[in-house]
Amino acid sequence: MSLSRRGFLKSMGVLGISSALFPSWMPKLVFSPHGQQSVRHDILVAIFQRGGMDGLNAVVPYGEGGGYYDRRPTIAIPEPGNGYGSVIDLDGFFGLHPALAPLKDIFDAGALNIIHAAGSPDPSRSHFDAMEYMERGIPGDKSTSTGWITRHLQSASWQDESPFRAVGMGAILPASLRGEPSALALRSIADFHLGGRQDQIASIQRTLAGLYSVQAPTDILDMKAAGVLNTLDMMAQLSAQEYYPANGAQYPDSEFGYALRQVAQLIKAGVGLEIACVDIGGWDTHEYQGGSDGTMASLLNDFAQGMNAFYTDLQDEMGHITVVSMSEFGRTANENASGGTDHGHGNAMFVMGGGVTGTIHARWPGLHDAALDESDLAITTDYRDVLAEILVQRLGNTALDHIFPGYTPTLPGIIRPR
Amino acid sequence: MRVQLSTFQVRSVQSLHVLNRVTWGARPRDLERIAAVGISAFIDEQLQPETIPDPFIDSYVAARRILAMNVRELDMGDYSTILDTMLGARLMRAVYSERQLYERMVEFWTDHFNIPIGDLLSYKIVDDREVIRRHAMGSFRDLLFASARSPAMLYYLNNDSSTAEHPNENYAREVMELHTLGVDGGYTESDVIAVARAFTGWTVRNGEFHFDPYVHDQDEKYILGARFPAGRGIEDGLQVLDLLANHPSTARFVCFKLCRRFLGDNPPSSIVDSAANVFMQTRGSIREILRHILTSDEFMAAESQKFRRPFEYLVAILRVLDPGIQIQDPSDLVWSLEALGQVPFFWGPPNGYPDVSEAWINTNGLLHRWNLAMNLALSGDGYLPSAALDVTAVLPPQPTTGALVDAASERILGMILPESDRQTMIAYVASSADTPIDISRYHSRAPILIGLLLASPYFQWS
Repeated sequence: MSLSRRGFLKSMGVLGISSALFPSWMPKLVFSPHGQQSVRHDILVAIFQRGGMDGLNAVVPYGEGGGYYDRRPTIAIPEPGNGYGSVIDLDGFFGLHPALAPLKDIFDAGALNIIHAAGSPDPSRSHFDAMEYMERGIPGDKSTSTGWITRHLQSASWQDESPFRAVGMGAILPASLRGEPSALALRSIADFHLGGRQDQIASIQRTLAGLYSVQAPTDILDMKAAGVLNTLDMMAQLSAQEYYPANGAQYPDSEFGYALRQVAQLIKAGVGLEIACVDIGGWDTHEYQGGSDGTMASLLNDFAQGMNAFYTDLQDEMGHITVVSMSEFGRTANENASGGTDHGHGNAMFVMGGGVTGTIHARWPGLHDAALDESDLAITTDYRDVLAEILVQRLGNTALDHIFPGYTPTLPGIIRPR
Repeated sequence: MRVQLSTFQVRSVQSLHVLNRVTWGARPRDLERIAAVGISAFIDEQLQPETIPDPFIDSYVAARRILAMNVRELDMGDYSTILDTMLGARLMRAVYSERQLYERMVEFWTDHFNIPIGDLLSYKIVDDREVIRRHAMGSFRDLLFASARSPAMLYYLNNDSSTAEHPNENYAREVMELHTLGVDGGYTESDVIAVARAFTGWTVRNGEFHFDPYVHDQDEKYILGARFPAGRGIEDGLQVLDLLANHPSTARFVCFKLCRRFLGDNPPSSIVDSAANVFMQTRGSIREILRHILTSDEFMAAESQKFRRPFEYLVAILRVLDPGIQIQDPSDLVWSLEALGQVPFFWGPPNGYPDVSEAWINTNGLLHRWNLAMNLALSGDGYLPSAALDVTAVLPPQPTTGALVDAASERILGMILPESDRQTMIAYVASSADTPIDISRYHSRAPILIGLLLASPYFQWS
């Protein structure tokens, strides 16, 4: 903690005030990506599907036969080959929901891993507890206030000083990014500029820097103010030029698509981004979830189109990018009377990037009554095992005892070393 | 003539604290009022909103029929007109109602029993009026019972389709986790399922609450250790609500949240405990719990510990600039909070907007606060068409730079700035404190001086 705090304060002295006062500051010269790292590491994009995604309808275990179909009389996805709306087969047992079709090409290209029956071991069915546990990385423990990503940044062997090191897309920082070093909350690059009379902007900036003591921050508010003033010039440069996604990539016209598009822009600008967090909400489908079409299909489509656009846009950079998705819990194996599913347990995770094995990892527990954990798909892969392997193999951080205290991950062997 | 704030300075430290928490931010005349009647009489007055005349808001609301409509009438109306009316009224009531504590409680319960507008706008308007506003200062029990039968809540948490054959546990879980006991309040997963069964048949018909006995689970149930005999109907759900309303975990959870709202993110356990006792003794009298909290030593010691959430920040600016600022388009002003992440009634999950500073202190929020402050300060120059500030009414011209900075900080922050920050502000206006202010410098610097004080760290905390 103290190390990163010193690193941050140092960055204030070196970059803070000067960047605020001299618009000619050229961030590209100051921050080469991962400037202080001797070996280049992956950029991680962590996607959180808030509300509890129904993993059994996203990555469908159609090979279970009745074990799946009898439990879901109105919302099940038809077996492959049954025409419109049927499962897109992956391996003869699992298949993708038809709305996830944009992920199929990525899977075929060997750049997508699917981990099924994954999740957090804590039995809580509270969204809010389960999200906090997952994002803080210590299931069942409410006493730790930092997020798992923050603890990764603290314990990484390098301490880059870029204010863009960790970015949460949105108006509120996700719990995984809470604590120091301080992450940037960013809703819109285009809107990230200082208002007021433009002929007085320099003196407005100087006055704010003084009022918030950014040269010697004394509290979290001062540090966030420094974060704003440090990034204004870079944001102005980024928003000055229209962003054109490469390779004809088309981001969906949604909050999720917009967020991913901006992450891609930050990556290409080389501002020192190491971690980005992106949310996609609406997965709490207690009612009228739909099957091949409907509420959840639209969400999956948004998710898959966003992932596909990001993959297409950053094709040339995929060798040093890892994208991982998670959700606080899965949903009940049986559908309920409202054509939905309730809070459950095991779920599917996706890992996309240049370093994946392109496989389905599932120590499949089955869906017959005796195999269920209460009423849900059991968890056979702790989500931290997946994150740990990404940390070790792609992000160059082996301090897993600091990131996931009290837990010894078993690396599943689905992520290749850099 | 307006009484200068400096005359209140000595006694106003405590007064300002009380106003910051009990109201949505101190207007100059609130300081006059609290100085005239005293702190305890002011709190007492605010605890009895029904006795406070509120002619401006009464006529504002009366002029907007939408706010009094039932669901059938609302469903025939224009969506964006209804929405803008609702958002505009939310802002106008917070800024201009004399029943300030009541309006703060309306916000508190709106978060506590959160229902996003989503596709439920008509039902939400009725819920806001008949559940939240009706019971905001009444009895927690009445509030809980009203919420449980509110069509907006029944739809939002899917209880409307919960049947004996397939109970839907969404409402059952959240009514215990978020509305009453709290997640560590001592219920189990089997309680969740049994509560879901108890509420089967609680649904909506013709836009109103309806109990459907044909889909109600009549079997015996055990909930929180109590036996619910077989063969009953609506009594099951009513008994659940009764159990929850009077449960010690509910007292503690609700009082913890109230103390977090009125004192700070980590309220001392002594005040949470004693407030929970008042909850139990008064069977959940919101007024008496508030009286206990607001007259406690812990409350008086909790000055400047609460980080203003975006909506409160906007309202506090509008109040401190009153009467020098005119609101031209209230709903447009509310929409400007989108960039800050807090448009009222738009939080999606059932737990309500976060009420801890760590959720709101971030780069995006801070930048957009500064911009909101600056745009409101420059609204007289057309930077924000939804408001208009008369700068001279708030900050009359002063002979020197030092005098201008001091007058501005007294007016906006209720104090003279500490010397280093005072020098920072002086440097913004001119070269030194003695530099005379001519009219052109006044026009160029005065609005942004106001904006900078509103953007300063001092104004972020209440």
